[in-house]
Amino acid sequence: MSVDDETHLLERLLRSDQQAFSELVTTYQGAMRAVAYAILGSRQADEAVQDAWLAVVRGLPGFQRRSSLKTWLLTITANAAKNRYKQNRREVLLDDLPSPHGTVGDERFAGDGHWLLAPSAWHEDSPEALLSQDELRECLEHTLLSLSQLQSSVLVLRERQGLELEEICNLLGISLSNVRVLLHRARLKVFATLEHFEETGQC
Amino acid sequence: MLRCKELVARSSDYLDGQLTLGENLLARQHLLFCKNCRCFIKQMRLTQATIKALPEAPVDDVEKIVQRMTAAQRSDDTP
Repeated sequence: MSVDDETHLLERLLRSDQQAFSELVTTYQGAMRAVAYAILGSRQADEAVQDAWLAVVRGLPGFQRRSSLKTWLLTITANAAKNRYKQNRREVLLDDLPSPHGTVGDERFAGDGHWLLAPSAWHEDSPEALLSQDELRECLEHTLLSLSQLQSSVLVLRERQGLELEEICNLLGISLSNVRVLLHRARLKVFATLEHFEETGQC
Repeated sequence: MLRCKELVARSSDYLDGQLTLGENLLARQHLLFCKNCRCFIKQMRLTQATIKALPEAPVDDVEKIVQRMTAAQRSDDTP
């Protein structure tokens, strides 16, 4: 959202414009949910986002715009989620759950580190062409659901929301090296699903 | 010289610009000579673009959330 769009939206929000609130919620709910989900898991994520929206309303008149609206909203969400968060998450931090089509693992390489099973060309070379296949779309969603909460949130925040790695670290309170590991594992699993589908034509 | 397995292990860092100058040079050098890894990186980029293009689940209760927000705003205005 451009600075001008943001200014206009904020003015309308302060005037209690219902339409402006709808725009705000539909635009940012996805990113906010990803942040809450990373910190709390599915059970409490929605409640934390609700907390965050109310905190946003209260904070709006005082919002100084030292950061972008999106960064402000996500910081409020992270704080709301941390307030609800009781147990120690560190234990599950790097949990790596099995994925429907696996990953790009050691078995793909020979002892000397060269490819044993090299990637072969895919039939489609654009996201639009890939996603025009209903079965593949469902298959990808299935893989995304198989990711651990942190892997899935980091992937969404990076690829879909376009956040910088440092921003993700700050929001979720995890180290850069952990964000890099989580992101890489998540990507390889999605890669494996795409590759499997391109090779076999089925999920 | 970097091996394919190592290139793959560093591929996300390569795509995110997280490699050091030296590591990045090694990765580029490897890619220059290795068709398989070039194909892999190309497919990783396509994987990224595909995740980005996946339709986001719609927010199901926008109206309810908005009602709650405007109600909270009103109650703040009239203490």
